[in-house]
Amino acid sequence: MLADDCHDCHVLVIGSGGAGIRAAIEASKYGDTILVSKTLTGKGGCTTMAEGGYNAVLRADDACSLHAEDTLSGGAYLNDPALVEVLVREAPERVADLMEWGAVFDLTDEDEIAQRPFGGQRFPRTCYAGDRTGHEIIMTLVEHLRSTDVEVLTEVAVIDLLRSDGVVTGAAGLDRRGELVTIRADSTILATGGGTRIYDISTNSASGTGDGFACAYRAGAELIDMEMVQFHPTGAVYPHDARGRLVTEAVRGEGGVLLNFPGERFMSRYDPERMELSTRDVVARAIATEVLEGRGTIHGGVYLDVTHLAPGEVEARLPIMLEQFLHFGVDIREEPMEVAPTAHHMMGGLRITPSCQTTLPGLFACGEVAGGVHGANRLGGNALADTQVFGKRAGEGAGKAKRSSAGVDDRQIDALHARLDAFPEGTADPAQLRRRLRRAMWTGAGIFRTAEDLTGALAEIREISAQHPRAAYQSNLIECCTLENMCLTASLVVRAALMRRESRGAHVRQDVETTWAPGASPYGHTYLSLEREGVETGGAGE
Amino acid sequence: MKDLTLRVFRFDPLADGEPSYETYTVRVNEGARLLHALHAIHDEIDPSLHYRYCCGSGQCGSCAVRVDGEPVLACMDEVRDGTTIEPLNLPVVRDLVTDMEPGLMEIPGLLPSGEGQVTRSEIEAIKPLRDCIECLSCVSECPAITVGHFAGPAAMRQAMRLALDPRDAADRVPEAVREGLFTCTTCQRCWEVCPKEIRIPGKAIEKLREMANRSGLTLPRHLGVAKQVERTGRSIEHTKVTFLEEAPAVIEPHGEVKATVGFFVGCMYNGRLPDTAWDMVQVMQRNGIRLVIPPEQVCCGSPLIRTGQTSSLRMLQKRNIDAFVHRGVDLVMTMCAGCGSTLKNDYETPFRVVDVTEVLTMYGIEPPGKLPLKVTYHDPCHLRRGQGISEEPRELIRMVAEEFVEMPPICCGAGGGVRSGLPEVAGALGKGRDEEIRKTGADAVISVCPFCEFHISENTGVPVKNITTLLLEGYQEKDERSGGE
Ligand SMILES: Cc1cc2nc3c(=O)[nH]c(=O)nc-3n(C[C@H](O)[C@H](O)[C@H](O)COP(=O)(O)OP(=O)(O)OC[C@H]3O[C@@H](n4cnc5c(N)ncnc54)[C@H](O)[C@@H]3O)c2cc1C
Ligand code: SF4
Ligand code: SF4
Ligand code: FES
Repeated sequence: MLADDCHDCHVLVIGSGGAGIRAAIEASKYGDTILVSKTLTGKGGCTTMAEGGYNAVLRADDACSLHAEDTLSGGAYLNDPALVEVLVREAPERVADLMEWGAVFDLTDEDEIAQRPFGGQRFPRTCYAGDRTGHEIIMTLVEHLRSTDVEVLTEVAVIDLLRSDGVVTGAAGLDRRGELVTIRADSTILATGGGTRIYDISTNSASGTGDGFACAYRAGAELIDMEMVQFHPTGAVYPHDARGRLVTEAVRGEGGVLLNFPGERFMSRYDPERMELSTRDVVARAIATEVLEGRGTIHGGVYLDVTHLAPGEVEARLPIMLEQFLHFGVDIREEPMEVAPTAHHMMGGLRITPSCQTTLPGLFACGEVAGGVHGANRLGGNALADTQVFGKRAGEGAGKAKRSSAGVDDRQIDALHARLDAFPEGTADPAQLRRRLRRAMWTGAGIFRTAEDLTGALAEIREISAQHPRAAYQSNLIECCTLENMCLTASLVVRAALMRRESRGAHVRQDVETTWAPGASPYGHTYLSLEREGVETGGAGE
Repeated sequence: MKDLTLRVFRFDPLADGEPSYETYTVRVNEGARLLHALHAIHDEIDPSLHYRYCCGSGQCGSCAVRVDGEPVLACMDEVRDGTTIEPLNLPVVRDLVTDMEPGLMEIPGLLPSGEGQVTRSEIEAIKPLRDCIECLSCVSECPAITVGHFAGPAAMRQAMRLALDPRDAADRVPEAVREGLFTCTTCQRCWEVCPKEIRIPGKAIEKLREMANRSGLTLPRHLGVAKQVERTGRSIEHTKVTFLEEAPAVIEPHGEVKATVGFFVGCMYNGRLPDTAWDMVQVMQRNGIRLVIPPEQVCCGSPLIRTGQTSSLRMLQKRNIDAFVHRGVDLVMTMCAGCGSTLKNDYETPFRVVDVTEVLTMYGIEPPGKLPLKVTYHDPCHLRRGQGISEEPRELIRMVAEEFVEMPPICCGAGGGVRSGLPEVAGALGKGRDEEIRKTGADAVISVCPFCEFHISENTGVPVKNITTLLLEGYQEKDERSGGE
């Protein structure tokens, strides 16, 4: 049985965040390109939510080698040096593309792109558009996309990659009504972004459910470093339903100070040199420790204060923060924000080469769904640069790849139908399962980890996965598929976390003693695929 | 935790003949947003409910819906008990999900010229127009889009943003004119509903019209208006003896003087509807307001600003300001909503400007007699949105009319030079008002703007009255009654 709605193209791009749109723009130079996303183009994903900025070496007194060193040391030397090299070298070129296409970045008095300091970097190299940098990038890309002949399929959620003889040949998805859509392609680019929505408290958009990791894993691709989940130190704690909402690092970049409930500037005890501008993992752990040890606020956070800045400065530099907090009844010009860590970014993901080729023929990956660029901890501002640098490379790689005659394998479509047909007969409430999963991940695989907690989380995930979620209507099929993807992604995170028996970057194992400096770790990437799993040994960056 | 009840629009165009409303009671946390209540409905009660969202933090523009008719971002707006939730006024895909694609495609992109270095000052000029999250709330509410060829406020905002950018190779001004630049009535509704508070009429549309004027693209009929102002200091030809020709420089009240205010007449009340202005004078005399009326005052310039012909604006501003400064008044009253909005927003006056309804409510009025009438009220855009005044006129109307019925505050089509420039568009909007008026079953429509009054009366059979005329009738009724006793 075939799907009712079949499409065919040279390059299929899945996901319309910064990486996906950049890839589609590039790929369309080589042949028919389809851009499919779960949401409206550009409106989904995390790129449009990114506030702080984009790292690029633009000044004579900065250097790519410095940017690379900062990225590697921030990443606890787990990054792939070849990918880092590409990132730092091409980030300036890609920001120049954006400027040519009309991006409205802040400029200096000399009409050069303005840059601000961001945590863990020795040079102020973070370019920004107020505190709506990601939104600016997305608007620029979406507008540019409209001038290309990329075909756009919106609100189609990809549920699986299509394969034929071990080669990826496109994808199958569900539209808003739950009808199956198939897209055959010579090459497929996965740009579905991250997945920290598997945690109870997360900064991610609703589409950050890890679909890409799950689809790729099911198709046989290899993923690396899935345990590396970045907890952003500053997420909002109130109102309850909007908890986790990001409070941008720019707040600290602009001089915001962290205070515990007794009013102590506690970062002096964790990183006296860099204080609030230390790397995210350090600040997140510091805040979590303050709260755990009883020095937190009533809402379970700490204070982040900018009231010492002139009100005009707050208005000009942090307009979105000001507006959001005003909506929630807090005037940050006059009172401190309350913040606590929140699950933010997946450093791990598909293993890629510098041209974004994954371990599966026919499949490319870029953006947050790919691993290796950021190592064990991502520097603020490096992810947006990542989307542009590797988005372009993926588009180019996929565009230049050979045409293929491989079609859609009917047996796979039949199997998909069988999978979908089971959901209306399901017995469990998907919303409840989702809540259970998120809590299990927050308690069992959060900032501080032990083998015991991780094993408990894994058992819970397995139990949830064994349930049969029910689709009350055809349009609820997507939720059931998403739940399955979340469970699978969560299990990948936990399995990798169990494999990595050291503390490194964002991954903290309280039950093992780490006696080496990150650069001297005997371990490389953790890896997981249908065929094999383990942790590389013999030094970093393998 | 708290329980609340919401009435939600439900519609599947493929299955249902027409929309219906479903009422749900859900439990949410303190501080919950509308989006969280929709999640609760979907997760706990009715998984068939369709609604769109993504970022959950006011940044992606996916989630705009209308709450009791007002567009909001579901993820940012605190949910309120007893409200009705409906989709934007766009084609409905299902329930609260609308087809945004056609609206988004109207928004033009930059055509890279490959050269042209953008400067900091240009970036700073573009920024206020750049915050748009393409939620289409403005498009949903724009009256001009429903009747004329018009790409809409979001697209006009973008056209202006591009016109300011040296990196753009296209000529945005003629394009904007083709896309309906002159169809906008400057009703300010788009600005009112924009979650990013982008001032599209003032910061984009009027600015594009100025640029169009410099490129010789002003509508021929608008050119006539500007010539008229230049020649006579007035935007319209008078058809009767003007108010200023007859009015003394000071009009004393009948009793004790409660306040002294300057009266800015405006072209319409001066030359076309002086009788209404004289009605107002009687109401003021009865209520202790001394009016100071400098005869050398001229057109406020509104017709020029709205149509982008601002070269002689400075001169008008100076003449008007000087006229009142020389009389030493510190409070100047307008009774034309357009003049009031212009003096308040486009002038820097050393005196305070107030609308006639503000004066009357501020100093309090003698209660008029009740008229045995059912009336409705048309909110002039330049009063409601241009000056933020909506309660004062209602308060006054309730004092005099036996029955008052509301109608939705939608533009009548008279503003923004549309009535003179594109009469068929203005006419279509006027007809829309007529429909709403007839729905109310009112005996009369009350307003506080000569343009609205004139235009609506041309488009409806129901009598249209200025609020001061209504008050005067109330006093006459009272006097008759007490005289007869
Ligand atoms: C709140 C926030 C602030 C941030 N701030 C910064 C910052 O200042 N600087 C920085 O460098 N980084 C920042 N980041 C990180 C950065 O934004 C992301 O890592 C990056 O934007 C990811 O881009 P992407 O294109 O890979 O994915 P995304 O932008 O997340 O896009 C993913 C796309 O995939 C689609 N998709 C997902 N699943 C499916 C499916 N099953 N089928 C079809 N389509 C699907 C989505 O609809 C979406 O279009 C921030 C992240 C967040 C959450
Ligand atoms: S001012 Fe009124 S008519 Fe003009 S674009 Fe805005 S909503 Fe439409
Ligand atoms: S201008 Fe405002 S209301 Fe209109 S689409 Fe943009 S953000 Fe929404
Ligand atoms: S969900 Fe993105 S603006 Fe509301």
